[in-house]
Amino acid sequence: MSAAVATRPDGAPIIRLEGVHKVYDSGENAVHALRGIDFSVAAGEYIAIMGPSGSGKSTLMHIIGCLDTPSLGEYYLDGTAVMRLSRRALARVRNQKVGFVFQSFNLLPRATSQRNVELPMLYAGVGKAERKERATAALKRVGLADRGRHLPTQLSGGQRQRVAIARALVNSPAILLADEPTGNLDTRTGAELLGVFDELNTQGHTVILVTHDSNVAARASRVITIVDGLIEDSANAADGATNAASAINEGTAA
Amino acid sequence: MKIGESVIDGLTDVRSNKLRTLLQTLGVILGVASLVAVQGLIDSGRRQTMAFWSEIGGLTKLLVVNMPPKETVLSAKQLASSGLTWDDALAIRQIPHVKMVDPIATIRLPVRFEGYNRERDIAGATPDYMLIYKFYPERGRGLTNDDVEKQSRVVVLGDTSARLYFGNQNPIGRTLYIGDVGYTVVGVMRRKEFLVDNGEYNALEWMNQLTIVPISTVYSRFTGDPDKHVGYINVIVDKSDNNEKTSQEVHALLKRRHGGVIDFDVYNRSARLAQAQQQGRMFDMLFLVTGIVSLLVGGIVIMNIMLASFQERIREVGVRKAIGASGIDIAIQFLVESVLVTGLGGGVGLALGVVFAQAITALVGQPAIITPSMMIVGVVSSVVTGLFFGMYPAVKAARLNPVEALRYE
Repeated sequence: MSAAVATRPDGAPIIRLEGVHKVYDSGENAVHALRGIDFSVAAGEYIAIMGPSGSGKSTLMHIIGCLDTPSLGEYYLDGTAVMRLSRRALARVRNQKVGFVFQSFNLLPRATSQRNVELPMLYAGVGKAERKERATAALKRVGLADRGRHLPTQLSGGQRQRVAIARALVNSPAILLADEPTGNLDTRTGAELLGVFDELNTQGHTVILVTHDSNVAARASRVITIVDGLIEDSANAADGATNAASAINEGTAA
Repeated sequence: MKIGESVIDGLTDVRSNKLRTLLQTLGVILGVASLVAVQGLIDSGRRQTMAFWSEIGGLTKLLVVNMPPKETVLSAKQLASSGLTWDDALAIRQIPHVKMVDPIATIRLPVRFEGYNRERDIAGATPDYMLIYKFYPERGRGLTNDDVEKQSRVVVLGDTSARLYFGNQNPIGRTLYIGDVGYTVVGVMRRKEFLVDNGEYNALEWMNQLTIVPISTVYSRFTGDPDKHVGYINVIVDKSDNNEKTSQEVHALLKRRHGGVIDFDVYNRSARLAQAQQQGRMFDMLFLVTGIVSLLVGGIVIMNIMLASFQERIREVGVRKAIGASGIDIAIQFLVESVLVTGLGGGVGLALGVVFAQAITALVGQPAIITPSMMIVGVVSSVVTGLFFGMYPAVKAARLNPVEALRYE
């Protein structure tokens, strides 16, 4: 599956945000969630986005994942100007360029692992034989080759999250976007799972982790910390993690 | 996403919510059953009517009868016209699209053979009579054009008449006295039967009672009527599309021949079919309304349950959108599911409707039938219900904001 790794041949950043603002509910109760975010991610990077709750990191994640669009500013994902896309085109971008991994796994409860992994390919219109082949390969890649026929309820939390990763990978996206992927897992399982992300990154995948856990962030090559809708620090991982941790402590104390 | 894949997802959902599905389908089952039953009864009734009519001339038959003017004081003109004649029949034969013309003259005369001696209705007819009524000889032969031309003293008997006159003897070749004239029996017709009222009554028994002679002999041997009056004239048109037109032409022709007096009437079979169907409408309407009301209720239940279970599916919609489902994909998925549910109900309702229809037709003594139109009614009504009542939840789901949907707990 090395062909699945997304890199831009021209060396241009896979993600580029320029002056991104997000305002919710315009009017008197307007919430200014993002107040001008600029940053780029090169292909193959391993990024952690940190920030206390209410900092705007979820909003940023939604924008990076094309679930939402900026109120102001520019966002380019893998060369596509996402700003002006229709909702239908956005759905297509999510399908082709973004692989989501959620904190609560978000597998379809009544579908088997195989079916869950096939889902993005269903929306992409991939034929049945290829779908089956690619889903099987993706499951194998996350170490669940023998769990294709299991329902989510028959799997452990760690296994469910691996199925979710297989689902995220299966359309060979430009970025893997994970939102607190270890949040619902115990420490040991969480560590194992992070190992999967490490490995994927080693293979060339661009990984973006959203987390408030400095230990998780520590594995990234770069940490972006969001505070009050702005990037506070784009220093190296260790520093970022420390800063983020203190920011969280402040947030909790407040 | 292809619809086939939505069906797979839908089936998974339907299977894992059996009670919900059952509740959703009940209304649809009853509604579709009711509609299918109505269609079955309409079809059965129509088929019955058509079957009967095809025995007595089919849909292309025009019946021309004498109808004396209603006025009590008749004008000289009206008095001068004395009703339908054989010559009228010959004239009608010249009208385009007319395939067969069969004038009938009836007369009541004593019939004698050995111990039998009674007054009977004698029908003077032409060879076309056999073709029009599908009335063919069981033994011997029917009337021929030769018989009519030569005013032959031959008689053809219906099955019941033959038994009545001759008992167990073979009537062929025997001489039957009609009035004072001896007629040779040349044929006994095959028994006609069309059972109604649970088989208790044969609607075509009157044909078995017939005693038929060549129409020409009625005038030459019995009445001596120079005008050659007839009781009625059967006219067969080439195809039923031409019924209306030909019927008008026959009317115009006869009016002209009768000096402008309308002392006749022309009945058009196709028009009567429409009329007969109209009369059955009230009864059908009742079932139709019942069916539609059940479907409405069923549809509302479906929509209600879909909206109630909507909450637990918001997150699923969010996930699907996150991994690339467009609003249309989501809408199609919801619609496919509601159509699956109503389709399931429609299938059961179809079977139940067929049972209803069979039970009712058995009760009124009609043959039970299953027609393609019953299937069509069942399928179309259930699918339309699913589409109509699934539309609102589908659009609602399609419009969900993915971020909010994903956040929904």
